[in-house]
Amino acid sequence: MNLKTLITFLVVSTVATLSNTSLLFANEVKTIEAGDTEIDIRIFPATGNTLLLGFPCDEGKSIAEEKTARSLAEDGIEVWMPDMLSGFMLPKVRSSLSNITTDALTALIDEATKTGKKVYLIASGPDTELVLRGASNWETLNKNSSLAGAVLMFPRLFKDTPVPGKKPEYKTVVGETKLPILLLEGERTPNRWGINSLSHELQKNGSPVKSKIIPNVRGYFFKRLDANRSEDVVTSQMAGLIKVSLFYLQENNTHD
Amino acid sequence: MIKSLFLIALSFCLTLNAQAANLKPFTANTPTPALKLTDLHGKHHDLKDYKGKVVLVQFWATYCGPCKKEMPSMNKMRSKMGDTPFKILAVDMGETEAEVKQFVKEVKPEFSILMDESGQSINDWQVFAAPSNFIIDPAGNIRYTLFGGVEWDSDELINKLKALAIN
Repeated sequence: MNLKTLITFLVVSTVATLSNTSLLFANEVKTIEAGDTEIDIRIFPATGNTLLLGFPCDEGKSIAEEKTARSLAEDGIEVWMPDMLSGFMLPKVRSSLSNITTDALTALIDEATKTGKKVYLIASGPDTELVLRGASNWETLNKNSSLAGAVLMFPRLFKDTPVPGKKPEYKTVVGETKLPILLLEGERTPNRWGINSLSHELQKNGSPVKSKIIPNVRGYFFKRLDANRSEDVVTSQMAGLIKVSLFYLQENNTHD
Repeated sequence: MIKSLFLIALSFCLTLNAQAANLKPFTANTPTPALKLTDLHGKHHDLKDYKGKVVLVQFWATYCGPCKKEMPSMNKMRSKMGDTPFKILAVDMGETEAEVKQFVKEVKPEFSILMDESGQSINDWQVFAAPSNFIIDPAGNIRYTLFGGVEWDSDELINKLKALAIN
């Protein structure tokens, strides 16, 4: 092979690879009927056997979340990001969560399971309630099937403001599912000391629960404008963090 | 018209400020949890020993921006409280002595910094935000809570705390 042929071969194969890559990781939007509404789901397709259904209430507009989704798709994990707020025409406020119906969440999970892939759920902060609500109802309706697990990042699931000296009370959905759960909490947040109590409550209906503390980061570190160096580093490695989390959940399923 | 709009906007801003400084009355019927910790100088503090004083128990951390911002106002608060029996116990949440000492060198808090590396008091007090503040009356009961940063030397807050010492 002479030099000219080699260069031509390299250019052609590079262009072919790039065009395939952009097609493979293209951002698709799928609309599904979910109860009385329609939900748009941004899909980061992948050929692997794993599907991660995330519940970013802000439509996953955070650059970190989108980058993470793309990176996971590149590694074979398909990511679905439904836009729950727009589907219900709700504002970006915490109280909107209670207006997202359980039927819609269940329909989304149903749609994900139709792919035949292992379905994991993920959410952060107060949105973790959506994961638990959807999973619990889906399990009730699908007694003979199971979801692969859920990653709850910085779960904020208190029923009301915690009272000093009193055992914390959690939202009613805490402890209703059997789903294997991995809790991720930042080292630099007071909530890290509440993780044992939350784990205990989540296990009430048989959920195997594990928890991991991420060193040197605050809660919601990937959404912070004042992120420090550690938080920037972990944000840039979010896909890796999620893959490790799925590994822990798989390990749990294997032991069962 | 423009003047009216300006006045409406101004009153809105003032309302927001007043709300920000609001202490929330503590209505739960629960006893005050224990607080027994050692400060940065090795002195032991027990909340019970401060009966007869109004006490601000604050849970804070060096990584918390609002905590750092409000500390100078806590220094001023101490002098503004005048003769009112008053004590600040600022509990650092689970950090190392080296981290806290570095912070103290920079921010210069003039009140007791208590260390809780095990997180026991954070669990006992059910702290979920930084900073979390609890105002204790002279009888040792929690009377107000405040979650988030605030300018502690505002007249509104000082008067509320002074009133607590009298009642």
